[in-house]
Amino acid sequence: MTEGQSKVVFWVGTLTSAALFLALTVDTHREFDRLTNADALDEQVVAGKRAFEARNCNDCHTILGFGGYYAPDLTRAHARIGEEGIRRRLAHPEQVFRASYRKMPQQRLSAAELDGMVRFLRWVDGIENNDWPPQDSERAWKRSTERLLAGGLLSPGAALLKQESCLQCHALGAEGERIGPRLEWIGGRRDAAYVAEFLEDPQRQQPGTTMPAYGHLSKGQRQMIGELVVSLAARGRVP
Amino acid sequence: MNYQSQRVAYPYFVVALLLFVAQVLLGLFLAFSYFFTLPQGFVDVFPFSTARAIHTNLLVLWLLLGFMGATYYMVPEETGRELASPKLAIAQLVVLTGTGVVAIVGFLFGWTQGRPLLEIPRPLDLLVVAGALMFLGNVGATMLLARRFTVTQGSLLAGLVFLAVLYLFGIPFYRNLATDWYYWWWVIHLWVEGAWELVTAALVAFMLIHLTGVERRVVEKWLYVELGLFLFTGIAGTGHHYYWLGTPRYWLWVGGVFSALEPLPILLMLWDTFRAEREGGRKLEPRLTWTLLIGMAVLHFVGAGLFGLAHTLPQINYYTHGSQVTVSHGHLAFYGAYVLVNLTFFYFAIPRLRALPGGRFRERRGQVGFWAASFGLVGMSLAFSVAGVLQSYLERMRGEPYIVSQEPIRFWMLLVFLHGLLVLAGAAIIAWDLLTLRSPPDEAARGAAPAA
Repeated sequence: MTEGQSKVVFWVGTLTSAALFLALTVDTHREFDRLTNADALDEQVVAGKRAFEARNCNDCHTILGFGGYYAPDLTRAHARIGEEGIRRRLAHPEQVFRASYRKMPQQRLSAAELDGMVRFLRWVDGIENNDWPPQDSERAWKRSTERLLAGGLLSPGAALLKQESCLQCHALGAEGERIGPRLEWIGGRRDAAYVAEFLEDPQRQQPGTTMPAYGHLSKGQRQMIGELVVSLAARGRVP
Repeated sequence: MNYQSQRVAYPYFVVALLLFVAQVLLGLFLAFSYFFTLPQGFVDVFPFSTARAIHTNLLVLWLLLGFMGATYYMVPEETGRELASPKLAIAQLVVLTGTGVVAIVGFLFGWTQGRPLLEIPRPLDLLVVAGALMFLGNVGATMLLARRFTVTQGSLLAGLVFLAVLYLFGIPFYRNLATDWYYWWWVIHLWVEGAWELVTAALVAFMLIHLTGVERRVVEKWLYVELGLFLFTGIAGTGHHYYWLGTPRYWLWVGGVFSALEPLPILLMLWDTFRAEREGGRKLEPRLTWTLLIGMAVLHFVGAGLFGLAHTLPQINYYTHGSQVTVSHGHLAFYGAYVLVNLTFFYFAIPRLRALPGGRFRERRGQVGFWAASFGLVGMSLAFSVAGVLQSYLERMRGEPYIVSQEPIRFWMLLVFLHGLLVLAGAAIIAWDLLTLRSPPDEAARGAAPAA
């Protein structure tokens, strides 16, 4: 190789790479707003970021995989432990990590900083980052929902009952809450078609009820729930 | 040493070496914190984050001071004239060291910018910029006054200017975390895989020319090719940090392809070092400089090239990103690429600054120090990689909670700590040796003979 050729290698290599890099940088900027939900990036989120930086959280925790490796990655913290979980850890680390072999320092955050931090982590949670980290992968939990639903084909109504969180208001056996009527009691008075129609818009049949509408379910799905509810009926004991 | 002003390099080397030892001490504390449970009261006062900030900032500060000292040593010889202003060089050392000390004391009291590796508070950033400008002004003026430009010197100056300009991207506050990380890498990645490579390639070329007697033309021709490859792979290779932070999908391709090529320039550098040794046709003295140069080329290739390649492909990085695997690569790469370049240059320059005959010195302690530090570092990196693979498997693939996946890692962190003790011993021996270098016994006797 002559000296001239080596100069060509240098300039061509450097300039192509730099040109590509700068062009993609410009394009990336065009995409950032969409990928990071920039419209949700308000002053409170920014205040949270400032509090996060003022406490140097990032030298123990990683976020988006960057930072210290001493404590969990915070990219999906909001999805993983929720707002309350974040608040409790920030306000009382000495209690939350009492039994843990790794401690977190007391951060002495003001109420506003605490709110900001929660909002910041919620905003980070929404960043579209090619589905990272894998343990909190949206694609993975969607797949497991699909598996659950496939298993639910054996009892499609039961799967829907679970998916729609009906037991948050209705009791079934020893499970669930007593805000609405017990599911076993419904089938004694109503048939499947009635239940299916009721689900679409409860107000039509019972004006003033607190039961939410399930119009987002297909007619077939509502029918399946109706059939399940009717099959649960505790016959002969109608209140 | 042919020029009086080269002497200003020496205080830079001294400060750099002391900070190096301090950096390793802090590192030991970090490894210790992974293995032992520190009490809450202690963590509240001196958290891991503060120790880590000091550990990494000391690393950057001492490497940069080393580079700057090396530059001040090299520029007079390359340009054939004294430095424009030796006094300014000393003032700059005071400014930068002072800034470093204030920053570290500030960290202890929670004064921080809060972004890893860029923790220095913004007001102090201005002092860093002032220090950098003093440096570039001084070096630039020397080169301009001399009106003599060489490729080696050009690579050095380009690297240093590039380095200073990139630092500016780390100063603003970014509202959007994704944008923040995007430019954070302009400093962190483009420094270590762009600017710093230019600087070290220049320093290595300079030493090769002086040590082997290989013709400058030949060394500089390969320097062009190496630098071209470094920048070609390194600049767009920044993409491997952009996979998971909220950027478009094409970065997976760009980052993957360019970083897969990144070991190439290092391989060329490795080959170039061996070739220069073979073709130099000179008895290579002192041997320690050679041990260091070859140790540097090999560990640079393994740590930066192979360990880096092992987890930069997106399919693998998806699981290893932000785990101890990264830490393993980081430690070996920094040691191989930059710590050893600095130490090699110190061993090259200090005997000459001390006017030891033939640039020769007693090598035993230095050899012991090099092997202790290197064995320690390789052992540490291997322990980190086992920890990282465990973590990736348990946390990322099995979906265990973070803290569950950290439990089996604690043992490997104990091993890191133990190897760290070896690194500390090596670093301390090297620092002490460099500060007290003497001529070998035969050389000393010959020097003393006429007087007797």
